[in-house]
Amino acid sequence: MSTGQLTDQAAGTGTAPSSPSRPPAGTTRRPPSLRTRRARAFYVFTVPWVLGFVALTAFPLGYALWLSFTNADGLSQNSRFVGLDNYREVFTDPETMDSLWRTGVFTAITVPLTIAAGLLLAVLVNQPIRARGVFRTLLYLPAVVPPVGAALTFKLIFDRDSGSANGVLDIAGINGINWLVDPYARWVLIVLTMWAVGNGMIISLAGLQDIPRELGEAARVDGASPWQSFTRITLPLLSPVIFFQVVTGIIGSLQSFMPLLIALDPTPRGVTAVPESNYFYMINVFAEYFANGRYGYASALLWVLFAIICVVTFVIFKLSKGAVFYSVEPEQAKPKARTIGGVR
Amino acid sequence: MSTPAGSLGRRQFLAASAGAALAATALPGCAASVDDGSGDGGTKGGSKTITVMSTEDDKKVLQAAGKGMGLKVNFVALDPTKLNAMLAAKNPPDLVRGLGATDTAYFAARGLMTDLDPYFAKSSLLKVSDLDPVNDVWRFDGKKQGAGPRYGMAKDYSQDQMFWYRTDMLEAAKLDMPSETEPLSYDEWLDMGKQLTKRRLGKVKVYGMNASGLGTFTQLMGMTVSAGGNLFAEDLASVDFSSPEAQKALKWYLEYARADIGPNVANPNPDGWDWPTYQAGRMAMAEDGYWFGGAIGADPKVSEVSRFAPAPQLGSNRVSPCFGATGFWIPKAAKNKDGAWKFFEEYFGGKPAEERAAGGWGIPSLKSLRPKMPQSTAFQKQAFKVQEQELEHFSVLTFTPYAQLAALDGVINKVLPKAIKGKTSAGKVADELNQLMNDQIAKGKELVG
Repeated sequence: MSTGQLTDQAAGTGTAPSSPSRPPAGTTRRPPSLRTRRARAFYVFTVPWVLGFVALTAFPLGYALWLSFTNADGLSQNSRFVGLDNYREVFTDPETMDSLWRTGVFTAITVPLTIAAGLLLAVLVNQPIRARGVFRTLLYLPAVVPPVGAALTFKLIFDRDSGSANGVLDIAGINGINWLVDPYARWVLIVLTMWAVGNGMIISLAGLQDIPRELGEAARVDGASPWQSFTRITLPLLSPVIFFQVVTGIIGSLQSFMPLLIALDPTPRGVTAVPESNYFYMINVFAEYFANGRYGYASALLWVLFAIICVVTFVIFKLSKGAVFYSVEPEQAKPKARTIGGVR
Repeated sequence: MSTPAGSLGRRQFLAASAGAALAATALPGCAASVDDGSGDGGTKGGSKTITVMSTEDDKKVLQAAGKGMGLKVNFVALDPTKLNAMLAAKNPPDLVRGLGATDTAYFAARGLMTDLDPYFAKSSLLKVSDLDPVNDVWRFDGKKQGAGPRYGMAKDYSQDQMFWYRTDMLEAAKLDMPSETEPLSYDEWLDMGKQLTKRRLGKVKVYGMNASGLGTFTQLMGMTVSAGGNLFAEDLASVDFSSPEAQKALKWYLEYARADIGPNVANPNPDGWDWPTYQAGRMAMAEDGYWFGGAIGADPKVSEVSRFAPAPQLGSNRVSPCFGATGFWIPKAAKNKDGAWKFFEEYFGGKPAEERAAGGWGIPSLKSLRPKMPQSTAFQKQAFKVQEQELEHFSVLTFTPYAQLAALDGVINKVLPKAIKGKTSAGKVADELNQLMNDQIAKGKELVG
């Protein structure tokens, strides 16, 4: 087939091909449509994630769900199905309820504190001051320190007999305090959590820098004080960023393993030595799994926590309506029609 | 978006993925329900690689030993949580480091350990007649330790309630040196500890002693036996802290902890173990067995002022138990048991064993290696002499197969700190310990049968 014929065919003027299933020799296949290419790209990009999700998330979740209905210890062959017994125990076990309460209190203290401190620092380092970059770096540096390193440092600082915290008290002639055991251990843990406040600062700083400067200038022209400007303009515009920190902060805090870091003995024996005030829900889960060998019960604990996190997140989203201001309403935001050069 | 007939739409694809995920989650349930635990533990024919789970400081020694035997040692750092997961997945290491005294009953009762008797019977390097009696802690007959199949072997051991003391600190406090043959009573020892403790502004500058040994539960267990009782019931299915002997041990421990003269469950040692504190002159007496001499021997200054003493006694039943007997065992589901045994034989009976014996980090687990224990310096000679005499009082204390030591120590960590601060009576503490521990043990018994 000559080139002329191909041109004719493409133009719809040539003769019909001899075989409908096979394009005539020498013709080129039609390039896949944009829709097909997008579909292919979709599969190529999602398959690895889906495989990872099935193998690393869905499978362990399902396995834990199955275990939660048994009295398995992971090792014995005599485990049996116990129905909802483990779930009933979760809500009647004082140890679990206490650990959940402690975790809730810890969350209620640390999440607002961390966000407020991060915001305050972000506002400070957002000011046009000299060496602003140095301050930002210094304030963010602690967040770069691995949590284990920070915990080790805290352990050394707050050791009763040889720590520098008591060394300072010693100079002042004050009796040393046993910081790392109850009732002080929880406060050390809160301070350790605040240590990584630089993370919140960076997020809030990004939000602050996204607020158009003209808004503040207009408010100033209208006679608003800096405080009014902050509470009426900055905070509302920053609310999506704060909301993000609240949600992720609460979820992270409910799953906190920090007490184990400060104990620095992440073994079944070490986990049981965590001071009572820091004996959080996840510490209890770890102890039930690996110290007590109660895989079934511990798996039920994890599923209950999962449910709690879902409920809490749902409630936060509901409560946030009217308190979080988006420049574009997420549910109303529609992709713009694609145009080329402004012409459809 | 419309989907051509016969092709898979994105939504269908995601739905199918979700279905696959659900199916995947259902599989383990099915697998678990049909699992009869009869893993064959087949060996990889002629495999030259073995997987060994041990402590990080053992890594080089193990790999070098393997190299000498033509075996590649795939090292996995010791982690009880990882071991549990590997055992649960029926993919355990070929050789696992463990504490014979407290691990054997638990794992053997669950059918997870390989019976090594047939291997010992064929071995030319390891003769049963040459095994030190301590290796009996690695035996379990279904009811008690010390009898039945042999499931592992100690690499070395110590009698863990003996103690080391610093002569310089005892001299400074004008205290007599403890006898090398006659044990102190626990009360005498406590008095010494009180006199050796130095404080300043609410801080302990020098601990008089450490009576925590290898853990609080085993400490109380040994003390109770020394007082003539036993913490475990005969069937090992319950503990009793209410007996007069256990009460005596508990009272003593509460007094020790309340006196704040040494690390305890309410105030653990920030160093994690005794050596850094002892070496720095911040602990006068450390309840650690012969193995501690390995650390002392590496510091000439501390060696000069360190001496070893028999285990204190709470009553007239003189015992000096071992709570560790650290060694190795081969899981039943191990993939390369032959390779593991080859390594086992060499490690316990060959050159590595000789080197360990000479290192002073424990009493060798083969009788024939005992002469190799270090005796060149004054401190080593004294320690060897005291240790030889103490061996007469060695005994195997059976641990329950229904709970792990960590679970029972966990109960102690929960109950005792409050009691120490709150001045709760030993009787009430005993009731609480009994209730919580027996609950744990009952749950374990249900699974073991």
